[in-house]
Amino acid sequence: MPRVRGGIVPLLLALAVVHTNAQAQAPGSDTDPKEALQELLSKALTVTVSARVLPPDAQEETPVWNAESTKLTLPGRSIKVRLDGENVRIYLICTPYLQDNGEVLLVAQGQVWFTEPQDKENRYFSTFYSIPVSFGEKVLFFPLGLSDADAQQKNHFNIELEIKIVPYEKKQ
Amino acid sequence: MPMCPDLEILSAYFDDEIPAPWGREVAAHVATCERCRARLAELQETRSIMTEEDSQGWRAPMERVRRRILAHVPIGRQRASVWRRQVALPLPVAFLAAVLILTFGITLAVLATRTNMGYIRVTKAPAGGTEYQFAVPYDKVEALLKSMGGADATIESVMTIPKSVKLIPVGEPRMGKANEFPRKKP
Repeated sequence: MPRVRGGIVPLLLALAVVHTNAQAQAPGSDTDPKEALQELLSKALTVTVSARVLPPDAQEETPVWNAESTKLTLPGRSIKVRLDGENVRIYLICTPYLQDNGEVLLVAQGQVWFTEPQDKENRYFSTFYSIPVSFGEKVLFFPLGLSDADAQQKNHFNIELEIKIVPYEKKQ
Repeated sequence: MPMCPDLEILSAYFDDEIPAPWGREVAAHVATCERCRARLAELQETRSIMTEEDSQGWRAPMERVRRRILAHVPIGRQRASVWRRQVALPLPVAFLAAVLILTFGITLAVLATRTNMGYIRVTKAPAGGTEYQFAVPYDKVEALLKSMGGADATIESVMTIPKSVKLIPVGEPRMGKANEFPRKKP
């Protein structure tokens, strides 16, 4: 199973370095860089996107292919996941926002580029979502639609992306 | 002898303000009445005094006041517009003012185009919120974006679907919470 790991820690460290430089340039600022870094880390979010291709058989839940990408980001900063297939390219752009009630507002955009095998005609879908979720709550994205029984009888694979957002926890 | 008219009627007669039939009656009475003629003589004397005082005592002061007023209020001359007024400055002062204006303009232009003013400012609001303000130089932003592996301000991960998997759209894209899409059980 391929697993894509990304880190926001280099970003935060770089921001802290910039902040340290900024301290010398802005004598009026009295914020400690370590405190600023801790503030950023306390607001960081872990966004996990799991992609699965399920077989046509509805009774079979074991995916024929899956991949997972875990990214750390800050509220309001988007992450982008791209899926490349033989005849399809899928973009999922997720931007989490922290709400006053402690939950997360997930703003997601899905883009699908698809080429018909027979006539080589390109099709494009673009969708935009805004979903309030709790930490750890799973959100599913079906970029090619949600198959029904008829589609399953045509031996079509189904692809789904699962999105989960949890607060960043620093590993000890 | 008929009764004498009162002083008001005599004053009106003296000013020739009584209509003709009544005026003639008053005139006939005055011609035969010594007392009324004496009153008319007093009215004539009062008029003479007033005329004399008016011409000798008041005219001269009033004329002096009129001349003073006319001397301070220009007649037929309007104030110049603000845009047409001219201010005379000594040459050194004018040169210094020009230098100051030029320096101020150049400073503003430099500050507006300067990009290496990086800082991070963390502001805690009284209600408990935290505001982060980022301003970093352009080259450092580029470095940050490169460290995140994205050309723009997003983080991109690429997953490659095996070629053996043929995907075909079966409907419109959908997204929602997982409990909105229950798994189909046989």
